[in-house]
Amino acid sequence: MILNHFQTMVIFGLAVSLAFAFLSKKSTSERVRYAVWAFLAFLLVAIGIGWLMYPFSR
Amino acid sequence: MAQPQKNPINPALALVAAAAGWFVPGLGHALLRKWSKAIVYFFAVVMLALIGLWMRGNVFSSNAADAFDMLGFLADIGSGIFYFLAGTINPAGADVSRASGDYGTRLFATAGVLNLLCVLEVLQIGFGSKEEWHAGP
Repeated sequence: MILNHFQTMVIFGLAVSLAFAFLSKKSTSERVRYAVWAFLAFLLVAIGIGWLMYPFSR
Repeated sequence: MAQPQKNPINPALALVAAAAGWFVPGLGHALLRKWSKAIVYFFAVVMLALIGLWMRGNVFSSNAADAFDMLGFLADIGSGIFYFLAGTINPAGADVSRASGDYGTRLFATAGVLNLLCVLEVLQIGFGSKEEWHAGP
């Protein structure tokens, strides 16, 4: 199985944000909000750090 | 409105559930009748572990050469049954010469650490140090 970096990051973000939501929140609405927030944060922070590192990549 | 009741504390069940939860992700929560958590943790850990192995990620052995290898082993062993079935699931073995294998290594380690977090929660619920109610799954 070959996945690129972004696809791997999406799978990581999905699994971890869902598990963290169930670990830390009690109600369903809180869990949904937290999972969506954490998933987007994972993606945005990773993409942001990627862009920050881009000038040093060569 | 009826007051929710705390789960009764049963240390033996908590320890058995923790061991079961380590070996099969989600089984510990299932033994404590936390069905939704059991399902979510099972699918999260299984997805990460299987994709990590299918991407030919590295699985660290117990005879670690340095501290980082030991940390990798501790993370990997957390995935329970998948650590022992790694060779069966991916008979070709690890290939970290390509980026995909490196990503797989991280996914498999994440599966292990996530499962260890779930085991800690099983212990918390079992020993009554985490607020869990009968009404909640």
